[in-house]
Amino acid sequence: MAEATYQHAAPLPPPPSLGSLGRVVLRSLVPVICPPEAHHLADAIVAHMALTIGASPPLVRHALGAGLITYDLGAIPFHRRRAHKLDPARAETYFASWEHGPTPLHVQFARGINQLMSLSCYEQPAMLERVGYAPGPWIAEVTRKRLTVFAAEIRKQDTQILAPDPLRPGVRRKERV
Amino acid sequence: MTAEIRGLRPSQPTGPRPALHEGTRPPGVFTRHDIHGDTVLDADVVVIGSGAGGATMAAELAEAGFDVVVIEEGSYYQTRDFTADTSAMVRQLYRDGGATMALGNPPIMYQEGRAVGGSTVINGGMSWRTPDKVLERWDREAGLAGIAKDLEPYFERVERRIHVATMDAEAIGNDNLLLKKGADAKGWKIIGNLRNQNHCVGSNRCAFGCPTGAKQSALVSYVPRALHYGARIYADVRVNQITRHGKRATGVTGTVRGSGHHLTVRAKLVVSAAGAIHTPALLVRSGFRTPSGQLGHNLSMHPNVKVVAIFDEQVTGWKGAHQAFQVREFQDQGLLFASVNMPPSVLAMSFPHRGAQLGQLMDQYDHMMLAGMLCEDTHTGRVRTIDGKPQAFYQLADVDAANLKRGVSLLSEMLFAAGAKRILLPFHGAADLHGPDDARRLLDQHIPSSGWEVVTVHMMGTARMGSDRSRAVTDGFGLVHDADRLMVADASLFPTPIGVNPMETIMALATRAAGHIIDNAPRFLQ
Repeated sequence: MAEATYQHAAPLPPPPSLGSLGRVVLRSLVPVICPPEAHHLADAIVAHMALTIGASPPLVRHALGAGLITYDLGAIPFHRRRAHKLDPARAETYFASWEHGPTPLHVQFARGINQLMSLSCYEQPAMLERVGYAPGPWIAEVTRKRLTVFAAEIRKQDTQILAPDPLRPGVRRKERV
Repeated sequence: MTAEIRGLRPSQPTGPRPALHEGTRPPGVFTRHDIHGDTVLDADVVVIGSGAGGATMAAELAEAGFDVVVIEEGSYYQTRDFTADTSAMVRQLYRDGGATMALGNPPIMYQEGRAVGGSTVINGGMSWRTPDKVLERWDREAGLAGIAKDLEPYFERVERRIHVATMDAEAIGNDNLLLKKGADAKGWKIIGNLRNQNHCVGSNRCAFGCPTGAKQSALVSYVPRALHYGARIYADVRVNQITRHGKRATGVTGTVRGSGHHLTVRAKLVVSAAGAIHTPALLVRSGFRTPSGQLGHNLSMHPNVKVVAIFDEQVTGWKGAHQAFQVREFQDQGLLFASVNMPPSVLAMSFPHRGAQLGQLMDQYDHMMLAGMLCEDTHTGRVRTIDGKPQAFYQLADVDAANLKRGVSLLSEMLFAAGAKRILLPFHGAADLHGPDDARRLLDQHIPSSGWEVVTVHMMGTARMGSDRSRAVTDGFGLVHDADRLMVADASLFPTPIGVNPMETIMALATRAAGHIIDNAPRFLQ
């Protein structure tokens, strides 16, 4: 068999995770959950959340989808409009009401959305730069150093990995093509 | 097979490659793009899973001349695929994007790898032998006579293969130096961590696929070895069932992710190395029942909690090796401490703060040190199989919660001794700590269990081994009681939690089990 250049295929696409309403509700929560310096990144944050939610177990995906609709409609009795249409002050009050009650489900939902959105917020390049996190150049630097300084040891370990070292004498030898 | 295909060319135009097979497509690896229709394969042994247990088993058996097929649900990646994009790595390398949860109060998030190489691709690389006191307990309680002496040569073999060593001094970052400073100030025992690494240079990305190739995960050690000796690996294939004829396992059937094609492997021996959550579910949905009724029971999790310490000085924890030290002062009480840096996104996710408060906190990221602890649990949970899928249930016991709280208090005291100015706790609604007195007062506080943030990566015990078939699921080598030609080779086998990182124990047990198969080949190959 000839050696072939390895070309990795694109990862499997995640299943669809969020409807348009879900995205709208999440977008309205960006000013509530993310720091002010991230508000202009709302579209990117929501797009990232959709990817993350898409990779979650089906049960979590469905629960979040249902939770977002419930959250949106649940504002009507208190504020006479859906959550994604609330002004900033009321949006803040309404989200806080979920964070602190009235049932554990409300609390878990608010906590979960807060976690997911915080994750997506700090995956944005602008936010990573803000906190001084730049692993790319660091990885390149240390990788280069390792391959240069420790080349002999790396080759030695590669050889060791493949070297014959039978646990027991061979049971039966076979010829493989 | 040529030297080029083995990846052993002594020199490359671009310099030495960071890992075997890097940049080339190794023979014997098949992905969803290579399976163009329903496929049937024959083999001596089919191994389900390519992590610590599966890859080890495959390599040992292939070297002995067995025809081995490995089925892996995750995809095949190489070192160069591991980038600084944290979320992308989590989506690609973790089962369900890392959002898997054991139900209980508090719920416990757990993570499993799903890629060729299994969880060894995303673990911290800690490589510790099973403690003697644990092996004595296995001897005494599970009837595994002489297992401590028996495992000794297998530990040595595994350590050689995955290059177990302490860290090079220059790769140790500030976060770990602060951990050591705190332990030294308290006079506590701290040791250099043993890790499966070959000159790790401290990219601190272990949990997202080692981008330098230094971590000797199964992906770059046992998997290339298995391939070299003729094993075949089918990635992107989810095993649906172990096929059987009566009590005899006869192979597996699976589905290719993405295409839906079916893959069937007919084999003389089936080895399940799918991990402590999925192995019991696979056996149950395949119709295997064991006389003990213990399949899926006895789930141990080594509950973990973490604290975030903020220092005046810059920590820059993302530059330097992951977990270079372990604080062992309280190991006899089931507690280990270590420094566990995480990228900003993962850290932000763990904070209850939001809005401007979150921004102000995260602006101090470079001054933060994340320290975690592992607790050897005393109570167990269960994996139930619901509609063919596993669901873990685990209730953190009061005694373990108390031990964790004590651990948080001690760890915080130590971090203040290292110079921390403020510590954020893993309890929702808990006030931050500002000094060692606050840390000590923590012991008197009642913290409702619903507010705990507990995570784990160590799931064990759901197909425990033992000589008594009325109490154990498998025998001492992992052969399932009351089944034929069916073996388990993962952390499901552990009769008890082991109190240290489990990878090396899994590998040693798999090596020993492979020896048993080789010694009794006629029985398994007929």
